[in-house]
Amino acid sequence: MAKEECKALLDALNKATACYHHLVLTIGGSADSQNLREELQKTRQKAQELAVAIRGRLTPPLRDRGLGAEERAEFERLWVAFSSCLDLLEADMRRALTLGTEFPLNKPLRPLVRTGVEGGAANVAARALSARSLRHEAERGFDVEDLHQLEREILQVGEMIHDMEMKVNVPRWTVQARQAAGAELLARPSAGVSSMRCVSVEQRMGPCDPSKALAATIFSAVLLAAVALAVCVAKLS
Amino acid sequence: MAAGPASHGGLRRAQRPHLSKMERMVVSMQDPDQGVKMRSQRLLITVIPHAVTGNDIMEWLIHKYCITEEEALHLGTLLVRHGYLYPLRDPCHLELRLDETPYRFQTPYFWMSTLWPAAELDYAIYLAKKNIRKRGGLFDHEKEHYDQLHRKISHTWDLVVMQAREQLWAAKQRRKGDRLVIACQEQTYWLVNRPPPGVPSVLEQGPERNSCTAGRVQMPTGPFQTKTVDFYRREVECLRKALGRARVKSSVCLEAYLKFSSQRGPHDPIMSGCLPSNPWVTDNDTYWAMNAPSAAVPTRLRVEQWAFSFRELLEDPVGRAHFMDFLSKEFSGEKPPPRLPARAPPPRFPPAWGGPDPVPGPPAENLSFWEACEELRHGGQAQVPALVDAVYQQFLAPGAARWVNIDSRTMERTLVGLGRPHRHVLDDAQLHIYMLMKKDSYPRFLKSDLYKDLLAEAVVPPKTKRRVFPFMRKPRHSSPSPALLPASASREPSGGDGEA
Repeated sequence: MAKEECKALLDALNKATACYHHLVLTIGGSADSQNLREELQKTRQKAQELAVAIRGRLTPPLRDRGLGAEERAEFERLWVAFSSCLDLLEADMRRALTLGTEFPLNKPLRPLVRTGVEGGAANVAARALSARSLRHEAERGFDVEDLHQLEREILQVGEMIHDMEMKVNVPRWTVQARQAAGAELLARPSAGVSSMRCVSVEQRMGPCDPSKALAATIFSAVLLAAVALAVCVAKLS
Repeated sequence: MAAGPASHGGLRRAQRPHLSKMERMVVSMQDPDQGVKMRSQRLLITVIPHAVTGNDIMEWLIHKYCITEEEALHLGTLLVRHGYLYPLRDPCHLELRLDETPYRFQTPYFWMSTLWPAAELDYAIYLAKKNIRKRGGLFDHEKEHYDQLHRKISHTWDLVVMQAREQLWAAKQRRKGDRLVIACQEQTYWLVNRPPPGVPSVLEQGPERNSCTAGRVQMPTGPFQTKTVDFYRREVECLRKALGRARVKSSVCLEAYLKFSSQRGPHDPIMSGCLPSNPWVTDNDTYWAMNAPSAAVPTRLRVEQWAFSFRELLEDPVGRAHFMDFLSKEFSGEKPPPRLPARAPPPRFPPAWGGPDPVPGPPAENLSFWEACEELRHGGQAQVPALVDAVYQQFLAPGAARWVNIDSRTMERTLVGLGRPHRHVLDDAQLHIYMLMKKDSYPRFLKSDLYKDLLAEAVVPPKTKRRVFPFMRKPRHSSPSPALLPASASREPSGGDGEA
């Protein structure tokens, strides 16, 4: 069904945009590195592919005059979500460009801002690409060429948005979103597309933190030792 | 929505130079050798590096810029208030404390120059995320904003919820320390951009100044823009204008401002009250009647104002009339004016301007000439050639009836310009005569008996007594409605007091 496909693609685009946003947050900070720039490039290219695919799927039904009112409303809703997502992506790409130019890597005169973020973000990018892990294979000087590439891609996305506005006319104020205020507090319904790890939102604690496990084992060991000592003392006296 | 702020980013940044200065300061703090000393923050099990204390920041600022402690504290507070540093223990209070409270630097993504103005959609996503994390534990003002946003952008609410969930999931892929830091960063950003009620917002700016920056709006300031000849031409033009601008020392400016304020303070109706009473408050418009441009007897304050500057005197019609009076009476009893034309041709054009006297005495010709030039400058375009001709015949031609004394260079320039008359052709001559009057006749006017008599005769209106029973106000007269017939309008001078 076209609608289910569109929804699935939109979810994937949403995920890619969120991951891209998360990665752009750390440009210029202490976690900035060649790897990060590579991850950014891969994520945004994936996001653009998805965007093109969704646009291809959504434009024909919306230009079709003979579509029923309910169907049309559904497609319009998806369209509005899609175009807002694309706006977010474009804005983040522009910011990535300004930040990337202001904070070039490997330049000792422009140190990166020490923000306290240190770990790698390979998992985030992997989540965006729905892959298990990510391989970094960029060579030195990657970030400079990447900036040129990024500029071209920003122009492409800008053109796509403009095209979309021209071709399909969806008045925003008539679209009724399905989620009400406060909908995020409810449990996430099982989506058609399941992510790699199907953990529901209610589970606050993520998978076992290694540091927490370590702390627990140390604590139990100390407790056992204390009990053993107490028993010895009791036996001796 | 996204394209707007980005394309205006260059202009906005150019208009807020204090932000780029602060950013440069923050970047120089990051220097590994000469930057601020960094410590680590220990939270139970996780250790997060790159924490600084308030003291460290102060010491670094004092050392680097050689400033006093007070100034360093002020600078540090500015950095914190604009969100470039945030406190780790008490994140809701953005202020710099000089003890061991730890701070951390904000990531460049959330700097004010990158991400401004804050978008509504982003704020909605942030509030949704906070809602999920805290299970509905938002602050009151955040709840209000949430509801407002839901009304405003309800059509994209699906995306808001989806993005909020996905962003939280993306954050979970990181280590715990990183997750905490990023959450703090985002919180600080929104504290600066959507401050809670009662906290002054640093984002408020005065009205935008449309000086030479207006010419730069059209230039896109992307990092890789092609620099064409046009671009450089515009730059050169802009810089040339900047060089030509007159600059005054701020001490001089401030002194002039103080003098102005102290001189004008008693004359300002809002600062010192107006006598008899403020018409807007008491509905008594005597104040306006007494200070009308053509009032017969000027008030004392008005007469005193004429002593402030020559321009004040000339701009007030009553003042100008008295000055004209003074000039014509000044030389009436003295020797005849030094320059008498051998033959006295009758004036070809009767003076269409002039004071109360139809033909004022000789020294008043300066003022008449000045008034004629004013009329030329502000009059109708069609009358310009005729008027220029008339002025020339009356005042400037050799042997004219009311010849004014202009120096030769200005006279030459004016004569050249008279060939192609326009409304500003007599400006030089007018300015010369103005300065002459200002240096010569004006001080004499102020010392003269005429002026002293005016001061003595000037009216000082008494202050109206305050009514004892304030709620018994005079019935207000509403103006008759134009829809009423004239007969009924005259029959009804006082409408009801029901008007607002």
